[in-house]
Amino acid sequence: MAQFLSGYAMYTFSSIVVFVALATLLHLQFGLTGIVNFGVVGFFGLGMYSFGVFLIQYNIPYLVAMLLATVLTGVVALGLGKLILDLDSQSILVATLAIATVVEDLVITEKWLTKGVIGLGTVPFPFDLGPFSQAGYFLLALVLTVLLILYAYKLESSPYGRLLLSMQDNEPLARSLGKSTSRQKLIFFSITSGLMGLFGTLHASNIHFMVPRMLGPGVTFTVWIALILGGRKRILGGLVGTLATIGLFDFVIETFVPIPAAQSQLLPVIKLWIYGLGLMLILMYRPSGILGEKKLTNR
Amino acid sequence: MPEKKLHIKNIAKSFGGRTVVDIADLTLGTHGIEGLIGPNGAGKTTLMNLITHKLKMDHGQVVYYPNGEEMDISNRSMDEIARFGIVKTNLIIQDFESLSIRDSLLLSLSTRKYEKFYRIFSEGALLKETKAEIEEYLEYFHFENPDGHALSAGEKKLLDIIRCLVLKPKFLLMDEPTAGLPEDQTIKVMDLMKKKTKEEDMSILIVEHDLDLIWNVSEIVYFMAEGEILLKGTPEEIRKDRTVAVKYMGVSHV
Repeated sequence: MAQFLSGYAMYTFSSIVVFVALATLLHLQFGLTGIVNFGVVGFFGLGMYSFGVFLIQYNIPYLVAMLLATVLTGVVALGLGKLILDLDSQSILVATLAIATVVEDLVITEKWLTKGVIGLGTVPFPFDLGPFSQAGYFLLALVLTVLLILYAYKLESSPYGRLLLSMQDNEPLARSLGKSTSRQKLIFFSITSGLMGLFGTLHASNIHFMVPRMLGPGVTFTVWIALILGGRKRILGGLVGTLATIGLFDFVIETFVPIPAAQSQLLPVIKLWIYGLGLMLILMYRPSGILGEKKLTNR
Repeated sequence: MPEKKLHIKNIAKSFGGRTVVDIADLTLGTHGIEGLIGPNGAGKTTLMNLITHKLKMDHGQVVYYPNGEEMDISNRSMDEIARFGIVKTNLIIQDFESLSIRDSLLLSLSTRKYEKFYRIFSEGALLKETKAEIEEYLEYFHFENPDGHALSAGEKKLLDIIRCLVLKPKFLLMDEPTAGLPEDQTIKVMDLMKKKTKEEDMSILIVEHDLDLIWNVSEIVYFMAEGEILLKGTPEEIRKDRTVAVKYMGVSHV
């Protein structure tokens, strides 16, 4: 039992849970509010690395470092959002993609702080529970992700959720009804991006050792593919999509399908092929994702 | 007779060198319902968009008089102006794709105190607060299915007007309210407008090409052409005026 709880499976489960959270946050930003955040990894990575720096370079206590990193990510998102959120979607896409690249580059170049390509470590699990430390960590990530999904549920049937939805549909019309859309978009973008940073700090505990390679655009693409596959307008779209992609490959296939050693290096390539193929099929035959369109709520 | 609601001083707007609106002095909202007529391209919609600040004016000043106070709104944002009580209905059909008719009204009725990211449990309070009002409107204007989308162009147009009405504006601008609206609904809308301007602190400015409607409901009519207000008068006066006939109704040769 203890072996299972600290094994590779636990590592994979934790990664999946973190990616479910990221995809759910992207659903809130893109699926609900219409903000095309193509820099998911930027906020995720900023949270992860700043947490590592606070914890390892400055010896700040674990939970405090986590909180600081989350706030820092949110503040950066606030600054960026102030500059770009009132621009059109293409500009937002490019700008968020750019900030992600900036984060990655800074991590590589600012060696005094991040140790560059050598990598930064070691990040321990949040609670020292002996053989159950990893399980404790997993539980924390799981609880936070479940809370996030519950929040999304309540949000979407609340006045604020309705406001966010109206901004995606027709922002000028919402403004003409007295809604301060720019301000609300900015607040919501900062909070959800800050939370992407929070899940970045959690991921740091899972991988223990950070290298800049982890901050490539692959993370953003994975999260986007998962959300689009699952259904961008659905709260569980991120969960379903993440299970259908990372869950299927990094857990089910790697654990249960016997792949000869000679072919195992092909697996990541095949994985990308199938992600791409799946995405194309979904966009062609079911553009609103596996879960489909959101239905109107009846009262 | 109500106090004036708006005083427009020396405002101008041009697009690519062509002056679309250029008004030296105009007082609006001294009557319950005022009409604004003029040929296409006269600048009627632009004038309305300058007042609500959907468009930025080149220069000029708009002073608003809510409850008798004086307030310069020349540099306020569109959403602030709407919150102050100056609201405009749209000529071109506008809707929220993902909201049902009821949700659309709830959106309009909801205020900033509910619209906070942490107030995710406030739906019940909002529903309770707005139930009676929403039911009243849904009963008065019959919709096919209030819990579904507005289906026809007519329903969307009507919903657009109601969304503005529930904001309880002090000054309502209506840009061709009858365009796309079925006749029976037009009558209902106009009856309600007359009632509201009489009973509540609300003035309306209507832009309309249906002149019979203008002559019927307006207490005062402005005639606009080439960016300027050329005439102001009672419906009878404007109707008989030679300039209006020449510039608008195309009867110069009679």
